[in-house]
Amino acid sequence: MTLLAKFKVIGHSMEPEIKNDETVLATNIFYWFKRPKIGDIVAFREAGGILVKRITKIQDGNYFLAGDNQQDSLDSRKFGLIPREKIIGKIIYKQ
Amino acid sequence: MNIIKSFIKLLPEEEALAHCDIPCGIYDPYVAQRAAHTILRMTQLLTDIKSGDPKKMAHDITRMTQVKEEHVELLEEELETLRNDYFKDEHFKTYANLNELFNKTLKAASKARQEINMDVAQEVLVGTQDIAEIFFKTKNVQPFRVKSVYPTGGEIVLHK
Repeated sequence: MTLLAKFKVIGHSMEPEIKNDETVLATNIFYWFKRPKIGDIVAFREAGGILVKRITKIQDGNYFLAGDNQQDSLDSRKFGLIPREKIIGKIIYKQ
Repeated sequence: MNIIKSFIKLLPEEEALAHCDIPCGIYDPYVAQRAAHTILRMTQLLTDIKSGDPKKMAHDITRMTQVKEEHVELLEEELETLRNDYFKDEHFKTYANLNELFNKTLKAASKARQEINMDVAQEVLVGTQDIAEIFFKTKNVQPFRVKSVYPTGGEIVLHK
């Protein structure tokens, strides 16, 4: 249940939307009322770390996540579909 | 606005990765099929193992079980790659049984780890072959089955 979390994004896979080294805020508040949807950019936990990706497909209540920058992105292929509980929150702000 | 920025500055910060790979677009159900045949073969060998020198038996069982485990792992990775990365929504709509086929095959693969069960190993192979057929159809090539040259005696799905 994440009200507000701040992350420094490392990497280029979400460019041009989020650039390397940008700071973003994520919140889970929206997902108290409705499920994450295709197009949302989310922070999520995987393989002992935190990643930022966009939801591109929803299958059986699980989420396929991919980077916007298709030439430079690790996508769900490497870690399978992500269950809802691994999503920390939706990215709502960047600076 | 400055108040908001000051508030944001006070929040603790963690690193989030947006890291890098190159999606290659190269997919093939061949590796999964070979893994399924290997699972079947190891299950056959484990089923047929003869009692004898206990040390040799323990040794052989360990090796066969390890190979079975490794190939279930490989099969799961290959099938998940096809399901998560290659197959798109339109494929799942066109082939309404595809998702269920993945679920069933992956569950059977999990069971194949836990048991020495020829029926389950056969189920893994059949499911993998059915997925391979659908894969080739989505590529607009005609799939066909040929007898494999493996000791399992089973078939393998190729395309024209």
